[in-house]
Amino acid sequence: MNTFKYLCLFLLMPLGILAQNTVSGTVVDSQNMPIPGVNILIENTQRGTTTDFDGKYTIEINNGEVLVYSYLGFKTQKVSYTGQSEINVKLKPDADQLEEVVLIGYGTSTKKDLTGSVTSISQEDFTKGNIITPENLINGRVAGVTVKTSGAPGSGSEIRIRGGGSLNSNNQPLIVIDGLPLSNDIAGGRSILSSINPNDIESFSILKDASATAIYGNRASAGVIIIKTKKGTKDFQVDFNYTAGVYSLNDQVDVFSSDEFRRLISQELPDQVDQLGDANTNWQDEIYRVANSFDHNLSVRGQLFDKIPVRLSLGHLDQQGIRLTSEFERSSVSTSINPTFFDDRLRVNLNANYTRESNRFADGVEGAAILFDPTQPVRNPNSPFGGFFEYFNPATNEPLLATRNPVASLLQRTNETEVDRFYGNLNLDYRLHFLPQVRAVVNFGYDESNGSGSNELSRESINGERLDDGSFNGSFSRFTSDIKNTLFDAYLKFDDDITEDISLRGTVGYSYQEFTNKSFNTGETREAAQIDDSDVNTLPDIVLIGYIGRAFVSFKDKYIASYSIRRDGSSRFAEGNKWGTFQSAALSWNISDENFLTDSKVISNLKLRASYGETGQQEIGPRIIGLESFNTSQPTAQVIIGGVPIAAGFPVARNEDLTWETAKTYNIGLDYGFFNDRLTGSIDVYTRDTEDLFVVAPVPEGSNFTNTIEQNSGTLNTEGIEFGINAQIFDDKGDSDKFDWNVNYNFTLLNQELDELANDSDIPVGGIGGGTGGFIQLHSVGHAPNSFWVFNQIYDDNGRPIEGAYADLNGDNIINDDDRYLFRDPDADITMGFQSTMNYKNFDFSFNMRASLGNYVYNNVNSSRAQFQLLQNNAALGNVPTQVLETGFQNTSDVIRSDIYIEDASFLRMDNFQVGYTFQDVVQKNTTLRFWAGMNNVFVITDYSGLDPEVFGGIDNTIFPRPQTFLLGANFKF
Amino acid sequence: MKIIKDFKLIYLFVGLLFIVSSCEDDLDTVPLDDDASTAEDFFNQDDAYKRLLAGVYGNLNLTSASDAGSSNIGGLDAGTSQYGRALMNLQTFTTDEAIWSYENDPGIAEIQRSTWTPANVIIRGAFGRIMGSVAFANEFLRQSTEAKLNSRNVSGEELQEMPAFRAEARLLRALSYYHMLDLFGKAPFVTEEDPVGVFRSEEIVGVDLFNYIESELLEAMPNLKDARTNEYARADKAVAWMILAKLYLNAEVYIGEDRYADALEYSQNIIDAGYSLTPNYQDVFRADNDVNGAQNEVIFPVPADGNFSQSFGPSTVFTNGAVGSIEENGAALGVPESGWGGAIRVTPQFVSLFNGAAFTNDTRNTIISEDRPINITDVSNRDQGYILIKFTDVRSDGTQDDNLDISSVDFPMFRLADVYLMYAEAHLRGGGGSRAQAVEYVNLIRTRAQNGSTTWNISDSDLTLDFIIDERARELYWESHRRQDLRRFGLFTGASYVWTLKGNSLSGIPIADFRGLFPIPSESMSANPNLTQNPGY
Repeated sequence: MNTFKYLCLFLLMPLGILAQNTVSGTVVDSQNMPIPGVNILIENTQRGTTTDFDGKYTIEINNGEVLVYSYLGFKTQKVSYTGQSEINVKLKPDADQLEEVVLIGYGTSTKKDLTGSVTSISQEDFTKGNIITPENLINGRVAGVTVKTSGAPGSGSEIRIRGGGSLNSNNQPLIVIDGLPLSNDIAGGRSILSSINPNDIESFSILKDASATAIYGNRASAGVIIIKTKKGTKDFQVDFNYTAGVYSLNDQVDVFSSDEFRRLISQELPDQVDQLGDANTNWQDEIYRVANSFDHNLSVRGQLFDKIPVRLSLGHLDQQGIRLTSEFERSSVSTSINPTFFDDRLRVNLNANYTRESNRFADGVEGAAILFDPTQPVRNPNSPFGGFFEYFNPATNEPLLATRNPVASLLQRTNETEVDRFYGNLNLDYRLHFLPQVRAVVNFGYDESNGSGSNELSRESINGERLDDGSFNGSFSRFTSDIKNTLFDAYLKFDDDITEDISLRGTVGYSYQEFTNKSFNTGETREAAQIDDSDVNTLPDIVLIGYIGRAFVSFKDKYIASYSIRRDGSSRFAEGNKWGTFQSAALSWNISDENFLTDSKVISNLKLRASYGETGQQEIGPRIIGLESFNTSQPTAQVIIGGVPIAAGFPVARNEDLTWETAKTYNIGLDYGFFNDRLTGSIDVYTRDTEDLFVVAPVPEGSNFTNTIEQNSGTLNTEGIEFGINAQIFDDKGDSDKFDWNVNYNFTLLNQELDELANDSDIPVGGIGGGTGGFIQLHSVGHAPNSFWVFNQIYDDNGRPIEGAYADLNGDNIINDDDRYLFRDPDADITMGFQSTMNYKNFDFSFNMRASLGNYVYNNVNSSRAQFQLLQNNAALGNVPTQVLETGFQNTSDVIRSDIYIEDASFLRMDNFQVGYTFQDVVQKNTTLRFWAGMNNVFVITDYSGLDPEVFGGIDNTIFPRPQTFLLGANFKF
Repeated sequence: MKIIKDFKLIYLFVGLLFIVSSCEDDLDTVPLDDDASTAEDFFNQDDAYKRLLAGVYGNLNLTSASDAGSSNIGGLDAGTSQYGRALMNLQTFTTDEAIWSYENDPGIAEIQRSTWTPANVIIRGAFGRIMGSVAFANEFLRQSTEAKLNSRNVSGEELQEMPAFRAEARLLRALSYYHMLDLFGKAPFVTEEDPVGVFRSEEIVGVDLFNYIESELLEAMPNLKDARTNEYARADKAVAWMILAKLYLNAEVYIGEDRYADALEYSQNIIDAGYSLTPNYQDVFRADNDVNGAQNEVIFPVPADGNFSQSFGPSTVFTNGAVGSIEENGAALGVPESGWGGAIRVTPQFVSLFNGAAFTNDTRNTIISEDRPINITDVSNRDQGYILIKFTDVRSDGTQDDNLDISSVDFPMFRLADVYLMYAEAHLRGGGGSRAQAVEYVNLIRTRAQNGSTTWNISDSDLTLDFIIDERARELYWESHRRQDLRRFGLFTGASYVWTLKGNSLSGIPIADFRGLFPIPSESMSANPNLTQNPGY
């Protein structure tokens, strides 16, 4: 083989330069540690090699040729060959932040070469505090990104990057872990990210603008979060974390106390005074408890057989919720194996993750707790319902039409699910032997969730079905579900310096993804009527196919241009509409590399970026929308013909014209760094038009089998300004005896407006509690989406509202829906984040604050409950929020749509703070032990009268309250 | 050799590309669930056409293929979007026959206070649900053309049934267009010739709509099964005659024409077909009214079942809703004791129809008045106003259904007693027939109401139009006829007759004539710009 090679070379090489020599050596870093995988190229040729695990290399070389040693994170070095038999090289780390590796779609880039708006966060930047789920890691840290979590244990979050940009689609960004995009639905679990152990995360990249996300076209309209997990290291490292937390409720809805209630009833409903009880119960206290959590994580990193980097992580989390009975438990095993073969030409990344989550869900009984008569006791030993106080007719045990005991509702129900999730991928990255500038990458990904659960209501519960013999039967149902997501990616990456000044990078690839979803539900098994309404529900598969191409050209590393194009197909749409094409282009200029700035002491980095990009969105509710299909009756929806139930056939509504929603974004940004990067940050200004907006819009009656269906007709415009700054106010420069203080501040201005809607017609949204439905929000052209749609309250001379009196805005002397107007919206105009991290000697102190301005909330808790008529709550007396004293309102239906209930929920919140102390060199050298204490949900300053100003969708109809948490933890590293 | 191996890699990669591009066919996904099928799979099963026809019938009772809580009509809650419920709200709650206590429920306050606008969700739900039947019927006709039947190799019994199936589909479509004519005076005109999707049809108004309904029924007539020979709940000639009779009886209101002779003729056809009044009035509205004898009186039932055909339709609503807040008499109605807490009361004006000795023992007079003030001064106070019992989810032997919440009472859309009164009315309006015959028919109703006693039969001089409108209320209340009847007698709008909440006033005030028709919903108008709004809205 070698002979053949020599022969070829002999034939190809002109005589005189026939002197082929071999040179070898070792490449080390500044600590003299060998560096594996260093690229060694012979300049201006196609020949090269890489160092092995011991940092050693051998290469054929000719006199006069130059060896180029390069490795990400280090300064490239060149050495001329003049006959040395051995060349050992010591690479210097590149302190220049711009060489920092950033994850972008399908690969990496250096920060310097980025043309899009990408924020990269690595471990050091993670906000400190008890992190149960990965979203908490970025909350408040990145301009343009908002994260809303509920108080439920292990709960998922609503993450929005630049508002999301769509009305009806899933506005959650795409989450990609080690190259595997994650499925959004989890069987029985709480959220996509709740099954990822945050301690395994090495870095996050958040891709905001379209040129960065365009490469993920088919699922990336709402932005992309790329997560990279920790890999094996050369030296054996162990990381052990332990956190314990105590959670408690810090606020309640103001309702009348038992004594106040007694007085109120004797005033307002004197002939009902005999219905009062003797107890003094604070029902909201009764449904909550002080909860605790324990979190253990062990992560081990090293090399198997001294060759194969491996990381193995184990984790266990036990978390109670403050709502009685709610619980979350998660066990996880995760591993990452990254061997390389053929002199590092073939890199293999195998990631495997397994989590098991157990959840006990507790029903939202806050509404009942607010309404329940405070003079009644929680328990009543004479009650046939498990000893809990309930309203029933003692002669017949027939439940009366009244609120149910919320404590009983919680304790008598066991709603548990277990989810086993396995996800992982195998990534093969092969650098072509004869063309070392080209790498071929193949990625196989797999994500499977198996959930199962049961929901049982005790036979002692008053809520159960009643049998003919008068006994109560409770209820019981079970479900299982199986959700799979398979991925196959293949692409070629090209990276070369075409000339000395011009380098070119390109990617061409193909992506295939398939989603399956199947579930089984037993239906109610304890019904008196023994109908079998168990059902296997198999959803149609979703298949997504994409062809991708991207190119970066840079001139002198100063002027960079990029272009990408993507062609995507989705199985959701009908024939002829399945494909969409999405392009993007961007330019960037590293101004700080220009001659007039290279020596500047003030400006260490200045980069101007401009981009245009298109991304596609296809995530609508139905998995098939364009196909002619029929549904058959399920057991309780049959048709009786001839006295016999028949499983009838119903044609299914369809829209054959539906196709991709496209978002087009223009973005201009400036990345800056001053004083040798003591101060860094970026400013972005963007405008995005989402066209062919998915709108669930009315369809002409009679022409289809429904009256509304998803249509592409509308345009949503989003505009924003994002500003971020990171300041190293005091720099200890590695000397821990000095004071070190780093702050990060980010500011986002965001504005959304509907430019166009189907038929110019308004779309009511935002269902509210109180009656059998009703809407309080409206999508309307010229306004922000989800604007509140309310009546204009009229007040008397004393400033008290007059019940049911609204401004006749159209002057027609009738008060009806035509007099409702659009007033504010739930989305904040401005959001800000502020983090501070201080280090001194071995102490550290950090905190994280967020502010939101201009977000409004409709207080549905008050609007549907704070009226005097509800003191008589069907067959029982009912408590009402004390807010009723401010308004004096009597009837819910007169007031529920008044603008008096739209409140300014702007807030300033401290999410967490933490104080820690690190013992250095414990046990042996280079081991650390850190103890810390902290708090989550420290304080919130707001005018909003409800429990919490951060409400999903802007409608507060009771929430799972966010607890205040005290935490203690320890971290041991060696 | 290394270089050759590397070339092989290239070939491999190119080969892979070919393979992957063939994967593009994977984008053609199909429904996988056993309850969902492509057209091809659906029509491969036995009884496919009967099932599809059952689906057309099904839209009169069900709101979706899955359960009573889901609906294929959006914009309002599933139960309120049910067909019979839409008719109930628009034909009963707009009149003196019922008052709904929970005015926080979307749309209902405007409906019962005569202040509805094109934005009203109940009206929108009705528009969508009724036209939904048209869409389902059209689909059946589309799928059962000769060409389609041939291509699917439909043969034997199924093929023989097809003319009857198709005729029934046309009848159901005509029925829905008749409802549109009655409620809106016009409709979007969609037939099986039109495409499915987002199709903006022309509208069909007044006379054209009237003629279309008439011609459809007459054309389908020969293929419909003879009266009382079809399976229970399937339409037959008698149903077609009934719709025609209603069309003709109301022709003066719909199109300003005198068609009373035709109304009388078709009423006579039905009367001669062999129907008979159920001896016990209550039995017509009981859980087993498909077998307890009521099936001989009911011309067209909409079947429901607490187990297998669940909906929050009119029988469920009138059963649970009629339970009194004070009385808690749910057991008598076959529902939980407190029902829905007193959701429905009747107006004093309606109560006065039962004033007099004649009605003390009238089995139709189920009014409960003890401890209740007759007047309703505060709608949300459920202890005010009288209540009554009509629909009971109890069998005639006293036993109850398994499902206490959902009713098994088949809703009687058309029944014989109505036809007797129609005959009498048509005669009084100059449609021919015999006066003596009319009196006789009315007395059949009276005798039945008095449990066989003829004491309170009427005499010839009692038979007047004023009598007819009142007797129709006494016999047919809560069966979704009242608004149509009041309109015909000039009592719905205007000042001639007022009742509690009419015109948004507690004592009732006149309402403008344009409110005789409902507005086209604003969403429907924006979805189809070819539709025009009714005057006054």
